[in-house]
Amino acid sequence: MPEKDKQVVKYGDVTQRVGVEVIRARGVDVEKLIKMLVANAAAEFASTYYYYTILRMHLAGHEDYKEICEDARLEDRAHWELIVPRIYELGGELPNDLKEFHDQAGCVAAKLPNPPTAVNILTLLLESERCAIRSWIAICDMTFGKDPRTYDMASRILNEEIEHEAWFIELLAHERDGKSIPSGHFRRGEPGHAPYSKNAGFYNP
Amino acid sequence: MSSEPTVFDVELLLPHGERSIRVGREEHIWDAAFAAGVVLPALCHQGRCLTCAARLEGPGEVDQSDSVSYYPEDREAGFVLLCTGKPGTSLRVRTHQAHEMREHRRQNRLPAPYS
Repeated sequence: MPEKDKQVVKYGDVTQRVGVEVIRARGVDVEKLIKMLVANAAAEFASTYYYYTILRMHLAGHEDYKEICEDARLEDRAHWELIVPRIYELGGELPNDLKEFHDQAGCVAAKLPNPPTAVNILTLLLESERCAIRSWIAICDMTFGKDPRTYDMASRILNEEIEHEAWFIELLAHERDGKSIPSGHFRRGEPGHAPYSKNAGFYNP
Repeated sequence: MSSEPTVFDVELLLPHGERSIRVGREEHIWDAAFAAGVVLPALCHQGRCLTCAARLEGPGEVDQSDSVSYYPEDREAGFVLLCTGKPGTSLRVRTHQAHEMREHRRQNRLPAPYS
């Protein structure tokens, strides 16, 4: 550890964290990172997990779509659970008001479209995942080579968001355009398997 | 036959200089800038996160109907969201105004993601 990192946090001091100061010393704007993590946590929880719960209710008659939506929903919840501890570790916190938290989300709330057709719902799901990809790759860019703990988390989440986008491209292309655009990787061990963000085994027969 | 222009001149006041681009009435300004080789800040591309915020320098009209989160107070203050904004006139805009727009939103008790 560079000498300056050791000097920032005094012996026995509980008001500062070496785990934060070492990444700050390497160039991470920690306060900005916390804001981005809160915004992404809000997007995972309030923009997608909550609203995907409603979206899946309206996919009756499309049980395959419903199941895939359920996987994405539960994996977004897993992301939320993964992000929150990191926010607090970095010295941040969640707003103590749900509306304030919701308003921090960097992605649009995936509210039930009108009319709630399968095409409209799949389009909304697809665009929600695209926003998540953009949001997480920004955190990967910000932390790469400087903050391995946040980078590892962000890249795990990004992996799953990229898979989700591919799923919804496949389903929307089929439902709307009658086209086959395979995602290549549908299978999950169980709903919300989250192989990357829960460090679970991959489907690799 | 309509005589309304379908393409407008948009002057981008960037942090390190100016750049003029042509933007169609049905085209998002961010997309036109990208096509012209100018990569402006953006994250959500939904008109939500404010990363692409810019501010009008002088008069001009921007159609923000594709933005999911845009308020009359934003328009009054001259803020525009380039990723989902389409020109209604020729424009002169100062880019990289995310910090300023978030501050404006906070002052007006409006959603200010990433703040």
